[in-house]
Amino acid sequence: MTSRALRAVAVGVAAWCGALPAVAQEDTLAAEAPGPAARASTSEELDALVTQIASKLRCPECRAQSVAESSSRISRAMREDIRERLEAGQTPEEIVQFFLDSYGDFILLQPRARGLNLLVYLLPAAGFLVALGIGLAKMRSRRRDLGAPDGRPGDPVDQMDADDRAWLDAAIRGGS
Amino acid sequence: MRAAHLRWVLPLAVLPLLALLSWGLTRSPATLPSTLVGRPAPDFELPSLRDDTDSLGLADYRGGVVVLNYWASWCVPCIAEHAELVRLSESYPSSPVQLVGVLFQDERENGRRFMSRMGGEWPIVTDEGSRTSIRYGVYGVPETFFIGADGVVAYRQVGPVTWPLIVSKVDSLLAAGRLLPSEPVDPLETSYRPETAPPANR
Repeated sequence: MTSRALRAVAVGVAAWCGALPAVAQEDTLAAEAPGPAARASTSEELDALVTQIASKLRCPECRAQSVAESSSRISRAMREDIRERLEAGQTPEEIVQFFLDSYGDFILLQPRARGLNLLVYLLPAAGFLVALGIGLAKMRSRRRDLGAPDGRPGDPVDQMDADDRAWLDAAIRGGS
Repeated sequence: MRAAHLRWVLPLAVLPLLALLSWGLTRSPATLPSTLVGRPAPDFELPSLRDDTDSLGLADYRGGVVVLNYWASWCVPCIAEHAELVRLSESYPSSPVQLVGVLFQDERENGRRFMSRMGGEWPIVTDEGSRTSIRYGVYGVPETFFIGADGVVAYRQVGPVTWPLIVSKVDSLLAAGRLLPSEPVDPLETSYRPETAPPANR
């Protein structure tokens, strides 16, 4: 692997690690739900805001779908509940918190970055780094096995014994 | 030497993760813990199933043990647990134990028909719009909440209740609230026949 490629990988990992604090910040739900500036003033905006909040919530019955996508009765009731709470002046953060209080973390489609949930965010990066380390170690040991003292692959001709070299020289001379 | 280390260090590092994932596979999504356990039961005031001009609230039963049962006429496990609920409604005549039903996502008429067919007499409310169900974090039916005399949710049962479970939860809540029954109820008694037996032709 060239040093340029290694640098690119390092930059990628560093960028991912830099994004971690942003993931952790979602724990506050401030980033989880749209801010007060996103308050709706028309019915279309209200619909969009309901969908935006509902898309973060898991349908309690169907589980694999969001409340926004599901046509189950409980999801329809939840969408209606979200709409009424928005109309009553609640912020999206308060509404998401209400559903968290009722159903717990499971109601969020995107797990919050805390406790065991952190594994979801950290394991892929950790796995990638371990795989990268193993790959690099393998490459280095392979180069060492080839006998080059500086860790660079040696010329195979340099590693021939005297008989093979004599045979090769003869072959080259005979061919020319 | 390093490679030899890697040979056992890596599997050892992965083992806890595999154990965690295996443990996760054994957990049923149906038994998700309720966030309400240990917290005050949300109050409600909902129309009665039998008479929609009348309403019932949790506050009406404050000071006693409340068994709050979410059910629906279309729910097959609700049929299975119904006999146990009838038995509960008749087994604590001298103790402040109240069974309250909440009809979940069902038509009022279907709920009435179910009760007249299956038997049983206890307060039942309808939750049109499912707002109360959402506040209780109900995923489906049947779900049953055991609420103590202090108004705090002590336990949530997902799926049908059994008689031993009912007796164990109700008796411990009565004991906690110093509301012990005058005649202890036997959780293993199987010869029970409901007073309000359902019609034979159901």
